[in-house]
Amino acid sequence: MKKLSLLFLTLFVLILAACSDKGDTSTEPEVNEEGKTVIKVVFKDDGPSNPEAVKFYDALEVGLKEDKGLDIEFELVEVAQGSYAEKLNLLLYSGTIPDLIYFQGGDEQIENQDLLEDLTPYIEKSEHLKGILQAHNKTRLENYPYLLWVKNIDNKVPVVRTDFLEQTDSGATLVKNPTVENYTAFLEELVAKGLVKNGVTVAGDIAELDFIFNDAFGVTSSWLQQDGAFVYKKVSAAEKDKLAYYSELYSKGLLDNQYLTQAWDTKEDAFYNNQTGVIVGTNGKVVDFYNSRQKQVNGETATLTVLPPAKGVSQGYGAISVTKETRGLAISSQSPNKELVFEILDYLASPNGLKLDSLGYEGTHYTTNVDVAELNDKYYSEWFARYWEPMNADLGVKVSEDTPLLSAPAKQSQEAVNSYYHEDNNFTIPEDMISQWDAMENLYKEYAADIITGKKSIDAFDEFVTKWHASGGEQLTKYANENIK
Amino acid sequence: MKTLKRMRKDLILYVMLLPGFIYFTIFHIIPIVNMKLAFEDYKIIGENTWAGMKHFNTLFSSPAFLDVLQNTIIISSMKIIFIFPIPIILSLLINELRFGPYRKFIQSISYLPHFLSWVVIAGIWITLLNPADGAINVIRNFFNLPSIDFMTSKEHIRWVLVFSEMWRSAGWDTILYIAAILKISPSLYEAAKMDGASTFQQMRYITLPAMVSTVITVFILNLGFFMNAGFDQVFNLMNDSVLSVIDILDTYVYRIGLMNGQYAYATAASLFKGVIGLILILGTHFISKKITGKGVW
Repeated sequence: MKKLSLLFLTLFVLILAACSDKGDTSTEPEVNEEGKTVIKVVFKDDGPSNPEAVKFYDALEVGLKEDKGLDIEFELVEVAQGSYAEKLNLLLYSGTIPDLIYFQGGDEQIENQDLLEDLTPYIEKSEHLKGILQAHNKTRLENYPYLLWVKNIDNKVPVVRTDFLEQTDSGATLVKNPTVENYTAFLEELVAKGLVKNGVTVAGDIAELDFIFNDAFGVTSSWLQQDGAFVYKKVSAAEKDKLAYYSELYSKGLLDNQYLTQAWDTKEDAFYNNQTGVIVGTNGKVVDFYNSRQKQVNGETATLTVLPPAKGVSQGYGAISVTKETRGLAISSQSPNKELVFEILDYLASPNGLKLDSLGYEGTHYTTNVDVAELNDKYYSEWFARYWEPMNADLGVKVSEDTPLLSAPAKQSQEAVNSYYHEDNNFTIPEDMISQWDAMENLYKEYAADIITGKKSIDAFDEFVTKWHASGGEQLTKYANENIK
Repeated sequence: MKTLKRMRKDLILYVMLLPGFIYFTIFHIIPIVNMKLAFEDYKIIGENTWAGMKHFNTLFSSPAFLDVLQNTIIISSMKIIFIFPIPIILSLLINELRFGPYRKFIQSISYLPHFLSWVVIAGIWITLLNPADGAINVIRNFFNLPSIDFMTSKEHIRWVLVFSEMWRSAGWDTILYIAAILKISPSLYEAAKMDGASTFQQMRYITLPAMVSTVITVFILNLGFFMNAGFDQVFNLMNDSVLSVIDILDTYVYRIGLMNGQYAYATAASLFKGVIGLILILGTHFISKKITGKGVW
């Protein structure tokens, strides 16, 4: 019996030893048999099991060799199935830290452990990257120089079927003068004419609706000036007015009465099935997708129109946070190939790099005719830029006007959000307040949902404000007033 | 020497034991050893630093934690009280079905929901309970009762958790009880019939007593998972309107611990859960031993 116990104990110790490795933090660059430097990359959906990703990185290796003379082999790191941010964190916390890391949140905890490289000096001496940075990228990098994401601002915009807009009398008025009242009138007419069952739907909470109405009600930034001091937007008088309006939309059936249980996919289905008239989606590619899907389901005439943000106290699609990029690429401070990794990011900002990433493969996704690229159906159905998508990018070739990179509504959505650009005054919540912040956010979500759905009257908002302050809001407001410049 | 000889004789059995041993070591024993993380600040590179009771102090001083703890206890208690007897009743009913193919059919369809993920089940239940055209509200409307938005109602959502869990697990959980029933000698039923016992009396005096030991074991083991009120279920059925009544320990730990990368804090919460589970298992085991003479071992 003793021998048996000893045997199992030995086995247990062996398994424990095998499972307790914190990972390799070698400072020597890894080189393969052909003498190429191995660069480890972790990117959402781009694991070694994805043949499209493998093909892209193979093409990038060829481009880097031809244009820059760099001998690189990319090694894609697989991330477990599930929420990318969560699984990536688990991967990094287990000690596996690739050279190039794509984050979709959760980067601050890794940065707190000094594992991300400050990109400022690299960008300063870059050949191409510094030239494609947009205003919001520059400010975000000044505040948090660890994450880089050269894309247009990611505000969302409301869209409606153009033919539905034209069938209403209030549609033209709304486009010309998008007051809150005109919005209501338009949504009412959409329903009254039997075009849709409800005016607008959102996925689970009112965050998407806020892109249309926040500025109109005066919720123009995270911290608002009220009586000479900063007040958090969600406990402000402006927020109260906005919730009262949402409640009115809900009671009239203009805001989908099932919005709380909608997910992003059921929200989109409701739009394509004409259950709902307006949905809100991220400008650019997402609007492009909505547009092509809508035409696929309801015919070529069912193109989309981007609606303007509601006009009131102010007008806009919401304040842009410039504290940091919310997603993006970071270089591991432990990587022995930091310079080389940045050279790759810089190459991707060059005309040839942008061409590969933005247009795909010649012959497969586009054909070139006298320096003009004509995109084909395969491009529209499967290609997306993994890395940089600057506005007015120099791709080394012109893209034919008959086959634009983005559809007219998608392009319109980008221009619209850029024209209303204004910066937020938010800040990163201090780590010791995270659990209180979670409680305060939940308190808001529940009161907002109850007020909108009529379970509580708008008078309950004052009760919410008191509870919010008691749950840590007092402390946070003090912090905000001391730190917001 | 004798042990080694005996082991060699049963070598094939030990080889069969090996995968189970490795599984439990990796996924159940090593995590216990690594629970020390609850008392440390985790460093990805280098050694962790000792943090003492810091994470527990943060945990217990958070008012949100006490709320989620209360929700966890309420939801788990409701599940134990209302779901635990259902598989027992269902297995007794299935046992009474005499027509073989029909019995197999009933068993198979009752097992089916167990194989569906909570994402799918949530979709089914949200549709079923839709206040506009969900089947439940259509039936209510037929009897001139008003529609209820079950999914956003603070009064009803916990019952949605209980009934959806019941629907998913009741059939599958009958397996152990049906196995216990199948072990009963048919001669006992024959003798009872000859003595004029009714079907109900046979159930009451033969079947049920034979199931007691299985019922107690399952009950005690279930109590070990008392603090697991069902992360997947709550996560998929949660919405803004019902946060304060169904936010449980696991969803809280997920948000604060995993989404914010506070792994040591999440470990502290898990350790707390584990300790409560252990106390419940040991407590129930010894109480049961004292009262019925039967326990887990």
